Amino acid sequence: MKPPKKKFESFPFCLGLLKRQIRDHREKMESVLLPTLTKKEEIDRIINNTIDKVLVLRFGRTSDENCLLLDDILEKSARDVSKFATVALVDVDSDQVQVYVNYFDITLFPSTVFFFNAHHMKLDSGTADHTKWVGKFHEKQDFIDVVEVIFRGAMKGKMIVHCPLPPERIPKFQLLYKDV
Amino acid sequence: MATLEDSFLADLDDLSDNEAELDESDGDDAKKDEEDIDMDMADLETLNYDDLDSVSKLQKSQRYLDIMHKVEEALGKESDGTEKGIVLEDDPEYKLIVDCNQLSVDIENEIAIVHNFIRDKYRLKFQELESLVNHPIDYARVVKKIGNETDLTLVDLEGLLPSAIIMVVSVTALTTKGSPLPEDVLQKTLEACDRALDLDSARKKVLDFVESKMGSIAPNLSAIVGSAVAAKLMGTAGGLSALAKMPACNVQVLGHKRKNLAGFSSATSQLRVGYLEQTEIFQSTPPALKSRAGRILAAKSTLAARVDATRGDPSGTNGKALREEIRKKIEKWQEPPPARQPKPLPVPDSEPKKRRGGRRLRKMKERYAVTDMRKLANRMAFGTPEESSLGDGLGEGYGMLGQAGSNRLRISTVPSKLKINPTIAKKLKERNYAGGATTSGLTSSLAFTPVQGIELCNPQQALGLGSGTQSTYFSESGTFSKLKKI
Repeated sequence: MKPPKKKFESFPFCLGLLKRQIRDHREKMESVLLPTLTKKEEIDRIINNTIDKVLVLRFGRTSDENCLLLDDILEKSARDVSKFATVALVDVDSDQVQVYVNYFDITLFPSTVFFFNAHHMKLDSGTADHTKWVGKFHEKQDFIDVVEVIFRGAMKGKMIVHCPLPPERIPKFQLLYKDV
Repeated sequence: MATLEDSFLADLDDLSDNEAELDESDGDDAKKDEEDIDMDMADLETLNYDDLDSVSKLQKSQRYLDIMHKVEEALGKESDGTEKGIVLEDDPEYKLIVDCNQLSVDIENEIAIVHNFIRDKYRLKFQELESLVNHPIDYARVVKKIGNETDLTLVDLEGLLPSAIIMVVSVTALTTKGSPLPEDVLQKTLEACDRALDLDSARKKVLDFVESKMGSIAPNLSAIVGSAVAAKLMGTAGGLSALAKMPACNVQVLGHKRKNLAGFSSATSQLRVGYLEQTEIFQSTPPALKSRAGRILAAKSTLAARVDATRGDPSGTNGKALREEIRKKIEKWQEPPPARQPKPLPVPDSEPKKRRGGRRLRKMKERYAVTDMRKLANRMAFGTPEESSLGDGLGEGYGMLGQAGSNRLRISTVPSKLKINPTIAKKLKERNYAGGATTSGLTSSLAFTPVQGIELCNPQQALGLGSGTQSTYFSESGTFSKLKKI
């Protein structure tokens, strides 16, 4: 009778390896969901409480396909960017939130608005509207780049920053003025 | 004088008398020693001895018979309630247990001797069997079963050995060199087998007895390490209170057999564990954790022994709790480390750039360094107006370049490490090779300097600057574009 191979001699050792695999898989699957805001007070609170970090507010609804894609990218990069940015989702179908929707003039969903220390940061991406980012990001890295540029600009004291993405990665949209 | 001689004689007599007395008193001891020596000699000479009884004396000895008798008695009757009043050492049952411990060790040695005897006799019949079946009791059983049989297909070894070994044994039996034994040798061999099996059963009885009593004598200790190992530990330590007084590091190595390496490398791990090696807990830990497990076992079993020595917990719950603790700790060691979470990105511009130095950086910096020429151009001589590219103080100043006062007629033509734009390099080349058929009429290789007069070699030309007289309006390589015949 051949003696078993030295490495996997005992059952408890194999069990330990298996446990490790399962736990790794489980930890990769789980992700902390981004906070969804439905009330005006919540939005106020988060804007005022985020200090020295970029605040990314996504305005959209979960039924929209584009919105889901954007949400996926936001969720995946939320942890990477967590040291200098906070990401939150705003459900646009709630009543109290309409104040903000009108204030920021959000008509197309999803729209992302950036804040830094309760200051609204503008982003010049070559589109007509600098106050927000309309549409989804092509890649996780694109989102991280935009947030980094906003952070750097804000730390230097700028109110508007230039978008680092090439024009083909920027979603195009047309602004209507009074339905013209 | 006579009295002196007489006294001397008397002394001599006394001496001899004393010797005689000493001899007598030592006689018994000497006899015992001789017996022991004979025993040892017997061990050495078992090969030659034909008689089993001269080889294995234990079964006939008084001590053995006494203890076995007591054990059987005690096994027969139920133990009456534990008498807590008596100190442990005075309990007659405790004494019996200590004796039993010693006896079991003796029986083991005896079995080894008998095994040698059987092996030597049976070697003539079936030599290979001793290497196939290692365990002495199994060997004895197999020998008894096979007897003088040549054809192993008629012998049923089921249940005695694992089937793989049975197969190997039967195959080997076909090709064995041995011959059937003579009747008397066979008889002796079978007797020896019976003796070995008897000894084995006796040992089992003794151990069972000790184990059964261990629960009442040291319940906590036996809860952790098991009754057999607990009995062994107690036996080796010389009592429960002696065991309790030992520090845990000593308990760890009780019963440690010093292995004679005999030329083998000592690089292999030799764990410092004695009887504790035989515990269930130790056997079931993975080899990497065995040393840690040995240490924790020794520590907790020492605690349990101390509890037992003072009869603090007769029910054994303390021992069970310690065992549970040990099990949990060993399981915790085997847990895999927590998975590494991906690190979030650092805050931009929070870490200052680490500037590196070194030869490579220096070589790179040389390409953009301030050249000697530029250094000279930046300096100006006092009192003398500098020459300039457009003349009369207009344009770029040349500073000390090409000044008459400077020591050198030419700036040394060390190959510059400057990186020059390829288009500019082409233009410079063009200028240098401008001499030829297409030289512009406005170039000159002479220079007119105020102090030295005419210089035959224009120092500025060597630099590629040309004299200030060279025109930039008229191209030096181009020609008239339009020629009209008048």
